[in-house]
Amino acid sequence: MTRKKRFLFLMETIGSAIGVVFFFPFYIMLINSFKTKPQIFQNTLNLPGGLEWSNYVKAFERLDFMQAFANSLFITAGSILLLVLFASMAGWKLVRTKTRLSSVIFFMFVSAILIPFQSVMLPLITIMGKLGFLNRLGLIFMYLGFGSSLSLFLYHGFVKSVPKELDEAAIIDGCSEFQLFRKVIFPILNPITLTVIILLTIWIWNDYLLPSLVINKEGMQTIPLQMFFFFGEYTKQWHLALAGLTLAIIPVIIFYFSAQKYIIRGVTQGAIK
Amino acid sequence: MQESIKRRLLFWAFVGPLVFAFFVVVVVPFLWGIYYSFTEWNGIVRSQVEWVGLQNYIDLFEDEQFIYSFWFTARFAVVSVILINGIGFALALLVTQPLRTSHALRTVFFMPNLIGGLILGFVWQFIFIQVFSSLADLLNLEFFRGWLATPETGFWGLVILMTWQMAGYTMVIYIAALQSIPSDLLEAAEIDGSTLWSKTRHIIIPLVAPAFTINMFLMLSNSFKLYDQNLSLTNGGPFNSTQMLAMNIYNTAFQFDEMGSAQAKAVIFFLVVAVVSIIQVRMNKKREVEY
Amino acid sequence: MSSKKSIALLIALIVMCVPALWAGGAQESSESDAGEKVKVDIFQFKVEFKDQFTQLAEEYMKENPNVDLSIKTVGGGDDYGAALRSRFASGEEPAIFNVGGPQDVADWKQYLAPLNELDVTEKAFDGVLGGVTMEGKVYGLPYNQEGYGLIYNKAMFEKAGIDPAGITSYTKLEAAVKKLDSMKGELGIEAVFAFPAKETWVTGLHLSNAVLSQEFDNVNDAFNAKTVEYKYSEGFKKLVDLQNDYSVQPTLSLDYSRQVEQLFSGEKVALIQQGNWAYGSIAGVNEELASNIGFIPLSVEGGIGDRIPVGVPMYWGVNKQLDAEVVEAAKNFLNWMYTSETGKQYVLEEFKFIPAYKGYDVSKVSDPLARDILDFSARGKTLPWVFMGYPTGWGQNVLGVDIQKYVADKMSWDELTAHTTEEWEKARQ
Repeated sequence: MTRKKRFLFLMETIGSAIGVVFFFPFYIMLINSFKTKPQIFQNTLNLPGGLEWSNYVKAFERLDFMQAFANSLFITAGSILLLVLFASMAGWKLVRTKTRLSSVIFFMFVSAILIPFQSVMLPLITIMGKLGFLNRLGLIFMYLGFGSSLSLFLYHGFVKSVPKELDEAAIIDGCSEFQLFRKVIFPILNPITLTVIILLTIWIWNDYLLPSLVINKEGMQTIPLQMFFFFGEYTKQWHLALAGLTLAIIPVIIFYFSAQKYIIRGVTQGAIK
Repeated sequence: MQESIKRRLLFWAFVGPLVFAFFVVVVVPFLWGIYYSFTEWNGIVRSQVEWVGLQNYIDLFEDEQFIYSFWFTARFAVVSVILINGIGFALALLVTQPLRTSHALRTVFFMPNLIGGLILGFVWQFIFIQVFSSLADLLNLEFFRGWLATPETGFWGLVILMTWQMAGYTMVIYIAALQSIPSDLLEAAEIDGSTLWSKTRHIIIPLVAPAFTINMFLMLSNSFKLYDQNLSLTNGGPFNSTQMLAMNIYNTAFQFDEMGSAQAKAVIFFLVVAVVSIIQVRMNKKREVEY
Repeated sequence: MSSKKSIALLIALIVMCVPALWAGGAQESSESDAGEKVKVDIFQFKVEFKDQFTQLAEEYMKENPNVDLSIKTVGGGDDYGAALRSRFASGEEPAIFNVGGPQDVADWKQYLAPLNELDVTEKAFDGVLGGVTMEGKVYGLPYNQEGYGLIYNKAMFEKAGIDPAGITSYTKLEAAVKKLDSMKGELGIEAVFAFPAKETWVTGLHLSNAVLSQEFDNVNDAFNAKTVEYKYSEGFKKLVDLQNDYSVQPTLSLDYSRQVEQLFSGEKVALIQQGNWAYGSIAGVNEELASNIGFIPLSVEGGIGDRIPVGVPMYWGVNKQLDAEVVEAAKNFLNWMYTSETGKQYVLEEFKFIPAYKGYDVSKVSDPLARDILDFSARGKTLPWVFMGYPTGWGQNVLGVDIQKYVADKMSWDELTAHTTEEWEKARQ
């Protein structure tokens, strides 16, 4: 048993060391967000002499934080809701329907993962502009489109491991297709749903380029858009940017911490299934 | 025939919404973009769009920067994918051990993924240039000086950034895969006297292989498409030596105002990456073990 | 399942959904059309003054309650050109946007309204409208004027016994630099210069302009030129070498922030090539130093050694494709900004611009860099800005990049001139 204990101890040490390295950039961000600009230039490594809370206050104001936060939340939550709903439905149906059309559709979605955004940027904006479908609602629709590939890919893969017998049993019990999906299938998909939610959140919450082109009304900016005003033509307001960045990460960290319990539960459930 | 019509309606009820959004947002613009690749246009709406046929494609063969960016991006993608997956897998193995700090470590390793592309690049730029020079002064190590001023340090800077950001994400996927390995298999192996290394090689890796495939595919395409971090970390410098493909395409379109050329590059880019991905997935699928 | 029928169903579904989306979209865009206000959208690039600019807009709206000004600034480091094209592509055309010079005017010709009849146009100084005038019609209004050169630390020069006014040729510049270098210890500096080779606009646009403006008479000359001669190639090379060799290393990763805010403001270097816009950055870090600085020229060997390039960095353009009343309102606003008392006060004291128009009390200009620029202008010791006439992308992405290669010893100077000339000629065929 001591061999195991020693082994675990070794793992703990290595793990902690790697953890420190991983945490280092956050440490840098945090300590420098409390310094004044000249202080940052003098030394980036040491702890700040005093805590310059004004950075945070200024960043909060400049970012119009509450409004930006609300916008980011609306867009992220809205997109994720639609994506989880439609991608899970499509993923399940495509797996269960073994036709040529089904494979073709799936293949199209997956190959679209390879399309760089830059090449569809202008035509996309033109179309959406002509449809009058811009700003927040348009953005959600666009995320639905862009996120569809990855989400479908993940759901499709996961559904393949859900036995068809389940479907058949439910139908014998008298379920309609929609009931079958809602009550039986979707709950089983929880583990992958959680993965999809996490991945989508991280991507959409932090996305800059697409919103920058689509949002053109005042008061609808997301957090990354506002963040950009700390980086001017040539100046970089590091003291404010780092404070702002810390502010922006806090909601995501809170989200991640609270979701963590469900993630673990979900993943374990998936294992027992 | 009512049954089959009903089946078809159901099919589209489930699949339709997603397909619709995908079509409008991705497929149509992409096809339109292909049209533009056969033209010469400066990107301004009312300006003239001139049909030039295959000229843009032919010119690509002489575009040294484009070819360079292609190889640079490919190198970057391969190195990153290997490192991200290797480290991600190792981390997953680490945190699935019964350690006291497992939970905390899991969080710390995943946190980097929470910061978005562009800002992340700026923060790491700050670290590589400013913080590293402070480190160089502190520890008197020349190694830390002059990062991002040479192609090599630019390359590794990008790799380090990507690995830091993505290792945690691949770790999450690998954890899920690891935890779906039935414990009786592992227990049986331990009773038979396997060491961790042996367990890893013969049981864990083969069963986790499907996750490998997915991860590799996603990481590969993400690395190829990288733009935000490229822009904010090095902006392609010095002297365009770290300019990746997406940046090359963007610059062609918006700094040289050559929309048609840029679209042609995008089409080629898409084709090549598609081929590479298909090969990669095929190769991996052969090694998967169905459970 | 016949695939033909499925595709038909697919199309039917799409067709059914479009009207629903249209309604949703139209609803969102109509919320701002309430009321009879004339809406003027301004799409501009200058992040540094956006807060003050918004305040000015508010003042204008107080005086003109029937006009609704909406300012959108393109965030930092981003490509204004790309954002502008996207904006127009989406159909949300701004009423006022930015153009830089002859290339932009040629590109956006169909959208730019001529502005000859405005009061402010007449008040513009001679020469500032050259880059945006085509066939007698004026298509842009200057934001301001700017100038650049070598910003020097007055205290250090005094200590080293160098008379800044005496630097009127390259030989004298070189001598001064060598002297400063020999006194590094006493002056407390790491090196004489902080050369930001990373910033291709500093090297490829501004530094090159100091040399090429002695070859091209004005921006239109450069715009029409089929080739670049490099009349003062040696002088150009020497300026690059001088700044690079006597600079804090490595220069390839040295950016504006490090150059201006960290090194110069931290008094670790004595000279930096920058413009009067740097005043704000310097004052933000070291206020005392900011009141004790000035310009010396980027003297070109064999050429002019005592002049500072002064020019217009960006112009306002008005979109003529919109409703007549919007166009009218846009023109009025721009006119008001530069000729009314409130506007002029903002321009001078809030934006801290060097005005490109007559009728300003320039004694109110407070910062030493701007004062120096005005001084050089008054003495007639200026060179024009011609880089807006370079072929698209040439300045930064060809020349700036090649200068980086040269600095890294990956390219010789002759290869640089050959390659950049080739690219210029290709673009101008």
